[in-house]
Amino acid sequence: MANRCTQVLLILLALPALAVPLACLIYLLMRGLPGFDSSLFSLNFSSAGFDDKHSVIPQIMGSLALSVLSCLLALPLAIGLSLYNRLYAGPRSKLFMQHLLTSFQSIPPLVYGLFGLLIFVHFLGWGLSLAAGTIVLAMIILPVLTLNTIHAIERVPQDYTDAARALGMSASQIIWHVWRPRAWRSLLTGLFLAVARTLSETAPILFTATVFSGASWPDSLLSPVTSLQTHIFYLAQEAVDENTVARAWSSALVLVTLVTMFSVIAHLLNKRHIKHG
Amino acid sequence: MWLRSWIRFSVIASLALVLLFVGFLLSASAPFFFNYGLSPIIAREWYPYENLYGLLPALIGSAWVIVIALSLALPCGLATAIVSVEILPQRYHGLINVCIDILAGIPSVVYGLLGIALLLPWLENNLDLLSGHSLLAAGLLLSVMILPTITRLSQDALRDVDTSYREAARSLGLDWSQRLFSVLLPQAWPGIRSASLLATGRGLGETIAVMLVVGSIDRIPQPWYNLLAPAQTITSRIGREMGEASVGSSQWSALMACALVLTLSVLLLSLLAQRPART
Repeated sequence: MANRCTQVLLILLALPALAVPLACLIYLLMRGLPGFDSSLFSLNFSSAGFDDKHSVIPQIMGSLALSVLSCLLALPLAIGLSLYNRLYAGPRSKLFMQHLLTSFQSIPPLVYGLFGLLIFVHFLGWGLSLAAGTIVLAMIILPVLTLNTIHAIERVPQDYTDAARALGMSASQIIWHVWRPRAWRSLLTGLFLAVARTLSETAPILFTATVFSGASWPDSLLSPVTSLQTHIFYLAQEAVDENTVARAWSSALVLVTLVTMFSVIAHLLNKRHIKHG
Repeated sequence: MWLRSWIRFSVIASLALVLLFVGFLLSASAPFFFNYGLSPIIAREWYPYENLYGLLPALIGSAWVIVIALSLALPCGLATAIVSVEILPQRYHGLINVCIDILAGIPSVVYGLLGIALLLPWLENNLDLLSGHSLLAAGLLLSVMILPTITRLSQDALRDVDTSYREAARSLGLDWSQRLFSVLLPQAWPGIRSASLLATGRGLGETIAVMLVVGSIDRIPQPWYNLLAPAQTITSRIGREMGEASVGSSQWSALMACALVLTLSVLLLSLLAQRPART
């Protein structure tokens, strides 16, 4: 009897964890879907951001450019760091790396944004720019990606590496012929998750990369962009007109769809990996 | 050869970034501490135009928000983890995980939008407030945002409890709730503890969603337990004023001091979470 009571109590306590996400999702669909018409994805950006029928294509492009570029920037460094961790680091520097990476992972993205604002926007004089936002996001994602890549390489069985060494393979041969085939899937999973994560960040790019309107497709790395995240933020804060608020909801739905897309791809890759591994 | 130089480049570049980052934090906030000392941390007034920079209202605001968020998310997250690992059969695990994934996948700015559209009007109507912008709104929103972290890490902690402990508890004839409270939870405690610490760190650093619903008014709640008043957190202050502060001004260095305090407290939490628990 007491067991039943505890279980029922626990299930009641857990209910919000099921109800809240479903409610959020349904509400988001209800508010966002009606705004999905041809004007939302129209290729005519002239009215950028101002009127209630503006296209969000520039925002989608800006968001994607920021996240994908930042992850591609961080990936080589992450691989380099994890190879250092595997090939050269002793037990003490491994532990140090682990702590350092976890600590930097926990620093709020906002603080990285301030760093970017001072160093890139002001000190180097890049202004609000795609480059500044990309580097800031890359710094945020680097610890996450590195920890993931370290894991991916560690999951290659030690026997394989030993056997390859015994065959006299060089370090680069081992990396390419032994580790790469076993690790690329989890590496890619991490990369897609990283894109999803950077797509969700707003605070760090608010002061370093984005403007509300007037930017469509960036001409160069040093021009400002618009992004879905900051677009929603400005509209959520300022918009009073009903149709403009509707645009905020449609943008939110587009953003959530993009994030989900990248997470689902990551999830599928990971699943196949486990099955074959 | 290219391999070695690539690795060397990665290590040197990353270390340089780490040093640059630490140097940035210290040097940008140093002028503030040189001019005002440490006393602003407990001062009550924040008026940038009169050079009054008291951090106390924002510190109290952040503390209240995280306390509300944890006191809601911890029981719920822990219960969800127990329900999904210990009570429900395997085939329902997917459903719970999907729900948690949905929560984790919603970007914070979308939570802010949901907060403005749903939470604020609801608070206004039910509690008869002029504006729903309040510590309570921020705490409620934040509790939803840290729920996935707590749930997932607690699930891992429970799953990691060794089968031999479960079997031993069973063979001693303990019933379900005895097994849960005197074997499983104590064994999973280190994991649950670091889950809560990590969630606290994430919650403290959360900016956009909190900023949109907290009201951003630098006032200590009057009386101190008045959670229905608009207030300010450290992150919402930085977010609000960063745009207007000119680089190098005293307001800028005051905001950097806020960022330093924030970073140090989050790092402390992260170190506590990483420290292997005593057995």
